[in-house]
Amino acid sequence: MKSFLLLVGLLLVFAMTMDCYAIDFERSKVNTTQEESIAVDSVDLPTMPSTTPSNVRGIDKPPAKVPAAEPVKKKDSSTPGLGKNATPPSLDLPSLEKRLRETKAIGVFTKITLKNQVDDLVDQFREYHRGQVKITLAELRQRYDMLLLKLLSLLQDSDPTLANTIVASREAIWGVLTDPSKLQPFKPTAGETI
Amino acid sequence: MKKFIQSMILIVALTMLLAGVSRAADEVSITKDLTAVITLLGLPCGKVVSVVKKGDNDHIASCENGNRYRVFLNAKGRVVAEKQ
Repeated sequence: MKSFLLLVGLLLVFAMTMDCYAIDFERSKVNTTQEESIAVDSVDLPTMPSTTPSNVRGIDKPPAKVPAAEPVKKKDSSTPGLGKNATPPSLDLPSLEKRLRETKAIGVFTKITLKNQVDDLVDQFREYHRGQVKITLAELRQRYDMLLLKLLSLLQDSDPTLANTIVASREAIWGVLTDPSKLQPFKPTAGETI
Repeated sequence: MKKFIQSMILIVALTMLLAGVSRAADEVSITKDLTAVITLLGLPCGKVVSVVKKGDNDHIASCENGNRYRVFLNAKGRVVAEKQ
């Protein structure tokens, strides 16, 4: 009888261990299958061409030439059910922020670092709108794209849904940043805990 | 009785092993977190291979390329990585 109970105990311990491993395995499996589509999104985003020496020297090029908007347009036009006059997806920044805070795909230190970098970028946009800095919109676009790519690289494995939402909101967020009237309501959240 | 004691020892050993696995999982998450932080800050590291906790929000991260960084939260609420 004792042996039987011990055997049952051992089996339970073993089952619990295997269950933990199975959860991890399933999660990694799901991530692997969805990784490809996210990776395609990331690859599609042409952030590198704007790193030309002329930009570094501060020669202001028209922001319209920044090629980052093109792939998104292509994607939209190829999506079934969306016509040429399809409106961009509505942007819910508070919800996006909440999801970023709550995601378990990123550690706390990483979240704080990202928040710092987002705040820095938003500050740069504010200064740009006030005309306080000699920075071009193309350079700001480059920084914005780089930050977004960093974020996507962190999210795409463990939270692909959120990564997709961010990709979809890319141009809408850019629209907010480049419009001083839209950017004004977003006050810096210094000292806020994550 | 001897069998019972042997089985108990086995169970205790297994429990300790599982506790070790669980702790290792925690360490993996902090190494991953610090790897991401150091990468985000643009510092050369590769992967963080070990972490020593110095205090609350204060860690020493050793990278696979041999670099060591103190990663901490400063008074302004910014995450800073200082090369050691």
